[in-house]
Amino acid sequence: MSGRVIVITSGKGGVGKTTTNANIGTALAKTGKKVVMIDTDLGLRNLDLLLGLENRIVYTIVDVVEERCKLKQALVKDKKNPNLCLLAAAQTRDKTAVTEEQLKDICEKLQEDFDFILVDCPAGIEQGFQNAVAGASEAIVVTTPEMSAVRDADRIIGLLEAKEEIKSYKLLLNRVRPNLIKSNDMMSVDDVVEILSAELIGIIPEDTGIITSTNKGEPIVNDEKSLAGKAYNNVARRIIGEDVPFLDLEEPKGIVAKMKKFFSSLKGENK
Amino acid sequence: MILANLYNKVMGFFRQTEIEEVESAKDTACNRLRVVLMQDRTNLTPELMDRMRKELVELLSKYVEMDKDALDLNLEQDGDQVALMLSIPVIRAKDEEEIKEALAKEDEEEEPQDEEVVDEVDDEDSGDEEVSEEPDESEEDESEDEKEDKKD
Repeated sequence: MSGRVIVITSGKGGVGKTTTNANIGTALAKTGKKVVMIDTDLGLRNLDLLLGLENRIVYTIVDVVEERCKLKQALVKDKKNPNLCLLAAAQTRDKTAVTEEQLKDICEKLQEDFDFILVDCPAGIEQGFQNAVAGASEAIVVTTPEMSAVRDADRIIGLLEAKEEIKSYKLLLNRVRPNLIKSNDMMSVDDVVEILSAELIGIIPEDTGIITSTNKGEPIVNDEKSLAGKAYNNVARRIIGEDVPFLDLEEPKGIVAKMKKFFSSLKGENK
Repeated sequence: MILANLYNKVMGFFRQTEIEEVESAKDTACNRLRVVLMQDRTNLTPELMDRMRKELVELLSKYVEMDKDALDLNLEQDGDQVALMLSIPVIRAKDEEEIKEALAKEDEEEEPQDEEVVDEVDDEDSGDEEVSEEPDESEEDESEDEKEDKKD
């Protein structure tokens, strides 16, 4: 078996890299694929929290590198899905504790046993980014329809294009707000795609469910009703190679829907 | 208060259906972002762009009379390619004599520099070919000029 190593990166912090990682990983595992997620954000680890695995971590990636344990011992199995594993970052160390070569080595070893290796990249374009990208051959660039996030994504794309090992990169547009796009207050999906001239792999709507799912340590892809969950599941299916159309995020059209929205906003204001 | 609120809401509701002429927040974002990304991608700072604009005005003024303040120089994106777009409002084309005059003036200014360069070449190596080329070119130029003068 030779698994695909995909780095999930963004440049800017807070656009949803880790959330994306947790959800795509969980969604891929649900399709029966063997998935391992590597948190490379040394010193600022969070992937364990989003997956609800924070109390199960014994060894971290630094322990593997410094040979205090074997690679397999450091892999934490997901609560629900045995196909899903996490290699956690060390919380007490900084980005220099693991080198590019070491990460590459770990990715190569994991490729033997897993279909997908998802690397959660820290924010920024410094060594942490370089390390995370080192072992990967594909990338998902997460951004939101905000100027600063798009600008940083452009920077990241420039850096990824300069890397020979990265064979392809795709864009994931997170926290999209259809009503703001409709009123021309926010850049549309097409705007961002045109500006970055990158291929799209997913459009995730803004969803308050993400907050509760993070609080519970339960990725939103497990919530059948959630639109963001559905969108993330679709991203996973596209990664596998299925041709899945993008979700229609438009609100109901027509005068009746508009009147309803108008009255509901009135109610909200006079409370 | 509630009534005023309601009035505004109702008016706002009808106003929404009108076509807005003011640039939307989305368009502002797109335009600002395009400009800033061009700068990020090319390392051309606003200062450098301004300098390029000035130099272009200087260069083009020899050939055409133009509205210098309205000269528009921008980086634009067309698909994957970045293009340098220059828009020059031409007031009138300069006639032949004006152009010649401008060129002659420039040649005068540049001549001393040219000689220096030739000298350097001479000092460094034989450079026979380059030296011999120089007079040829100037002769051609002069003969062309003469022909044109005769036509006039």
